[in-house]
Formats: sequence, C-alpha cells, structure tokens
Amino acid sequence: MTNVMSMNAEPIDISAVMRALADPTRRAVFERVAGGKEITVAELTKGSGVTQGAISQHLKSLKQAGLVIERPEGRNVYYRAQPEGLTPLADWMNHYSAFWRDNFDRLRAVLREIDP
Amino acid sequence: MNNIAVKSDMQSTDATSIVIDEVFPHGAEVLWKAITNGDLMGRWMMKPTGFEPVVGNRFTFQTTPAGAWDGFIRCEVLEVLPLERFAFAWRGGDEGNVGYGSKLDTVVTFTLRRVQTGTRLRMEHSGFVLPKNDTAYTNMGKGWVKCVQTLSTVAAEQN
Repeated sequence: MTNVMSMNAEPIDISAVMRALADPTRRAVFERVAGGKEITVAELTKGSGVTQGAISQHLKSLKQAGLVIERPEGRNVYYRAQPEGLTPLADWMNHYSAFWRDNFDRLRAVLREIDP
Repeated sequence: MNNIAVKSDMQSTDATSIVIDEVFPHGAEVLWKAITNGDLMGRWMMKPTGFEPVVGNRFTFQTTPAGAWDGFIRCEVLEVLPLERFAFAWRGGDEGNVGYGSKLDTVVTFTLRRVQTGTRLRMEHSGFVLPKNDTAYTNMGKGWVKCVQTLSTVAAEQN
C-alpha cells in the first residue's frame, strides 16, 4: 500500500551534507570556494580571520561531504566546489514531492469514484 | 491549473516546503470529506490510526522503520476549519538516520477554495529543515538552484 518514502533504500548521506554546512564558518568557506573557479588554502585564509589550519579542517569536512574537490598541483592544492554534492538534499525532498504527487493522483481517482 | 513546487522560506527560518496546488472538479464538501475521513484518507494517502478530525487529536501513520525509528509518523491535528483548512503535525524519524527516516518535525496543511470549475486544493508540507542561509545559498547557489529547479518542474499530472 501507500508507503511514504518506501522507495528509500539508497544510503543518501544527507546528514553529512547538513553537518558540513551547519557551521557558519565552514559554510562561508564553501561559499568562497563556490564563488570562484579554484582557490588555494592560503588564498582562503587571507582576510578570513581564522588560521590556515582551521580552514584546512573545514575543507576536509567539505571534501568528505562531497561538496568540494581538490586538485594538487606542485606545492599547491586547489579547491573547487562540487554542486552535485548538494543533490542528497534535493533527493530527500524528492521523496516527499513524489509521495504527495502520487497522493494527489490517487485522491483524484477516489473523488471520481465517490462523486462521479 | 496544477503544480508542485518546493519553496524556501529564506527570511525567517532555514525551512523548505513542498506545495501542491490543484483544482478538482468536485464540490468542497466532498473534497473535505476525502481529506478528513480516516477511511478515505487511507485510500489516497496512508491509513491513519486513531484519527479524528478534532484539534488536539493524536494519530499515527505506520510506515517502514529505519534505525532507531519505529516507522510511526506521529501526527497531531492542529487546525480544523470545515470546508476551508485542515492542518496536522507530521513528526517522525530519528536523528541517527540519514536520508530516509531522518528526523522530521513538519506540518501538513490543506487549504480548500471554491472555484468556478470545482474546488482548489492546496497542500503544503512545511518545515523541512535544510542547512542553508541566505548568503551561502544565494551566492554559491547554482548547484542548489539547479536542484530546486529540478524539483519545481516536476509537474503533477492532471487526470
């Protein structure tokens, strides 16, 4: 029968994304990474008010959440945003969107039956 | 006229809603019955247990458990305004879950409005908390906007 989100199964790691973006500083880091093409830790640290070590930690979390990817080149590591990392959030909402869309279709059928 | 959309409430909270708005070629009375009668609810939504269309009534929907969550969606009737509005709290999930079965504290609101061709039913499922704030999502936004657009363009089929 009708079962909300019964099509679940896939391990959508939404909480990792949520956790990664819950921290305001980390979110600001993500925003800056996403704002440009590529950026290094040193560039991110400049004017940020936090240490390079802290920025590196934030980048690590963002990387683990699939929100940024890194590209080492020589001594530098360049970071860029990975917008696909946000799709778990959309997928999660999608379960409910699909659920309600199906409900409305069924409601239409029920109404036709009880009020022809 | 129908559509399904995901909208964000950027000003106040980091919450997102799912909205479906459709016109049904039926009177408000029959529509009201379909959304507030337990047996009928069971035929198009899920079968409620212990439901009565009375403010304060607590009822449940039973679905697949996940992790520490027993699969029960715990609901509470918040508003019953005959032929106009029906709202209930929709709570479930567990903080330990990711994706399916993650913690939810949401509200489902049905609003009815008589129109020439029948009755317009708007369903808003609100209170999905997503991690975002205005600047982060406005500035970096492309990925997110794309996601939201994908959802927003999922049109509910009429008929």
